[in-house]
Amino acid sequence: MIKRKLILIMENKPGALVRVVGLFHQRGYNIESLHVDPVDDFSSYKFIEERLETKFKENEISRLTIQTLVSDSLMRQILRQLNKLIDVIAVSNEETTYIKGVLLDENLL
Amino acid sequence: MLMHALHDEGVELIFGYPGGAALHIYDAIFRQDKIDHILVRHEQGATHAADGYARATGKPGVVLVTSGPGATNAITGIATAFMDSIPMVVISGQVASHLIGTDAFQETDMIGISRPVVKHSYTVFDAKDIPRIVKEAFHVATSGRPGPVVIDIPKDMTAPENLFDYAYPKKANIRSYNPPVKPDQNQIKRAVTEILSSRRPVIYAGGGAIASNAERELFQLNEILDAPVTNTLMGLGIYPATNDRFLGMLGMHGTYQANMAMHNADLIIAIGARFDDRITNNPSKFSPGAKVIHLDVDHSSVSKIIEANIAVFGQVKNSLQAMIELLKQNIDKYSKDDLKEWHSQIAQWKSSHGLNYEMYKDESDAHPILPQAVVQHVYNVTNGNAYVTSDVGQHQMFAAQYYHFDKPRRWINSGGLGTMGFGLPAAMGVKFAFPNEEVVCITGEGSIQMCIQELSTCLQYNLPIKIININNEALGMVKQWQDMNYGGRHSESTYQDSLPDFVKLAESYGHVGIKVEKNSDLKEALEKAFSMKDRLVFVDVYVDPAEHVYPMLVANNSLEDMWLSKDKKT
Repeated sequence: MIKRKLILIMENKPGALVRVVGLFHQRGYNIESLHVDPVDDFSSYKFIEERLETKFKENEISRLTIQTLVSDSLMRQILRQLNKLIDVIAVSNEETTYIKGVLLDENLL
Repeated sequence: MLMHALHDEGVELIFGYPGGAALHIYDAIFRQDKIDHILVRHEQGATHAADGYARATGKPGVVLVTSGPGATNAITGIATAFMDSIPMVVISGQVASHLIGTDAFQETDMIGISRPVVKHSYTVFDAKDIPRIVKEAFHVATSGRPGPVVIDIPKDMTAPENLFDYAYPKKANIRSYNPPVKPDQNQIKRAVTEILSSRRPVIYAGGGAIASNAERELFQLNEILDAPVTNTLMGLGIYPATNDRFLGMLGMHGTYQANMAMHNADLIIAIGARFDDRITNNPSKFSPGAKVIHLDVDHSSVSKIIEANIAVFGQVKNSLQAMIELLKQNIDKYSKDDLKEWHSQIAQWKSSHGLNYEMYKDESDAHPILPQAVVQHVYNVTNGNAYVTSDVGQHQMFAAQYYHFDKPRRWINSGGLGTMGFGLPAAMGVKFAFPNEEVVCITGEGSIQMCIQELSTCLQYNLPIKIININNEALGMVKQWQDMNYGGRHSESTYQDSLPDFVKLAESYGHVGIKVEKNSDLKEALEKAFSMKDRLVFVDVYVDPAEHVYPMLVANNSLEDMWLSKDKKT
C-alpha cells in the first residue's frame, strides 16, 4: 500500500462531491485527505476545453485533491470508477489522466 | 410540463403509485391521454415491472413514485436494475422546496438514499430545467453501460401555475459524459491476431451483449470462428441455446462442459461480461492457461477481477463488427479444422456429465415431481417461445439450465442483485410490452410471496400471465447451502405448514389456480393452464423438497471443481 495523490476536475454541481466521497466508501477505498478548491483560472485546463469542445465559466468547475492508500492494481480501478461518475470531467494520478473515457499516459492535471 | 417532456421523449408507459408529493403530476396524467399509467400495488412492483419492460424491449422503463416511503420502496427495484445495467428512469416526488431539510411529512433524501445504486441522479431546482433534465436522464440511462437514473422533483416544481416557455431539447449535451462507442482499431488488430493463433477458444458472452443488441454480430462472428460459446446467467439467449456450439450457462451452477471449457481454454473472448464472482470462483485459480480478450463499453469492468490481455472498449456491437471485418480479410489464415480436437474434447465432457434434458419423459408416480422436469415441460408446452421471468433461488437456476433460450431478451431475471419478488411484476412489464406473446413466471413459494400483491394489478389490467410455482415448501437454495455447508441444519428456511393455499389465493384475486402433486398429472395440468389464453393461471406444483441444483462449484476453487450430485465431486 502506497500513499498516492489523485486530482479530479469536476462539475461544481450540488451533490457532486458526495458522489466522489460516497464512491470511495462504497467500493472500500480509503481517503487519507481531501481538499476542494473552486477553479477560476482555467489557463492550465485549456487542453480539456479543447478535447471536450467546451468553454469553462466562472464557478463551473472544482478541483479535488485526494490522498489515498492503495495498491497499484486498485489504483487503476479507482481511476476508472471515478472517471465513470457523470460529474467528473477528468481524473489523474502520477502517471495517467482520464478525460471522459480517454486515457492519456501522463499526469496533466 | 413533465408529461409533455416524457411524451416528447417517446414514453408510452409509466408504472407508478400516487402520493402527496406526486399529486400535481398525477393530475397532469389524468388530463392527458398520450401516456398510459399502470397502477401497481407496491412501488417495488412498479420498478420491477418497468425493469421487465426494459429488459424485454430494450427501451427504458419509467417509474413514478411519491416522496418518502414511495421513494424508499422503489430502492430495491432500482438496485436490481443497477446491478444488471437496465435502462430505467425513476421520477420521485419530493416535498416542496421550502420544506426540504425540515423533516417534513414523507420527506426522505431520495438522492442520498439512491446514490450508490443509480448511474446518475437529478434534483429539479427550477421548473424550467425539467425538459433538459428529462432529456439528459434518458440519455444517461440508455447510453454507454445502461442503468437507472433518478429525477427527484419537489412538489412546487410541478405546480400547475408553474408555467414556462416549453421546448424539448433535440439532443442531450453533457460535456462530462462521453461513453466509448467505436473501438480502437489497433486493439481489434491485436484481438484478431490472438484469435487466429488460438486452438482452444471460448466465447463467453454476457448481459452487455444483449444490452448492445449484438446477437446478429455474435452469430456472424461464430459462423467464421466455429468456437464453443457459453453465456452468463444474464447473457442467456444472446446465442441460440439449441445451436450445436452452445455449451450452456457457465459459473456457479453452469454446465460441466461450459466450466471445463472455460478452465481449459487457451483464449477467452469475453463479450459484455464482467467476470462476476459467480463466474470465476477463485479468481487466482481461474482458467490458468487462457489469454483474455475483453470487449466492453465500461472501462471499470475490464481487468477488475481478471486481467485482460487485450481490452476493446466501445459498444460491443461495433467492436464485434470491426472484428468480423478484419477476420474476413484474414480468413485464409484461419481453419475451423484446427478446432477439431477441442470440439471432440468438449463433446466428451458433455456426454460424460452434461445435463439430462429428458427428465420430463419419466411420468412415474413412484417418486415426487422433479423441479427440472417442470421446467422441461414448460419449455415443451410453450415451444420454447415464451418470455420467461423468474425469481431467485433453485427454481431460477433450474429455469436457466433447462429452458433453452434461442433469442435474447426472453429470459428476464435478477442476476446481479438476486432480488426475490422480481418475477411476477417483471412478467407484468413484459406482458404490457408484448400482449400477444406467452409470458411465464417461473417462481418458488418463497419468492412469489414477496410481491404477491401484484396479482391484483394483473386482474385490473387483465394480464394473462402463467405463474409456475415450483413449490418445495422451503427456501430451497438456502436449504441446499445448509445441507452442504452447515451439517443439514435448516435454520429458518422452512415455514412449518404456514404456506397459503395458493389455489384459493389466486382465486381470491379473480384468477385461476391449479394444484399439481403427482408426476402423472403434471403435463396435462400445464397444457390446461397454457390453453387458457385470456386468464392468469397460477400453477402450484409440489416438487421433491430434497432436490439440489447441480453442478455446483466448490467454493474457493477453480472452475474444474464441481459438485455433480450430492455425493459426487469432480
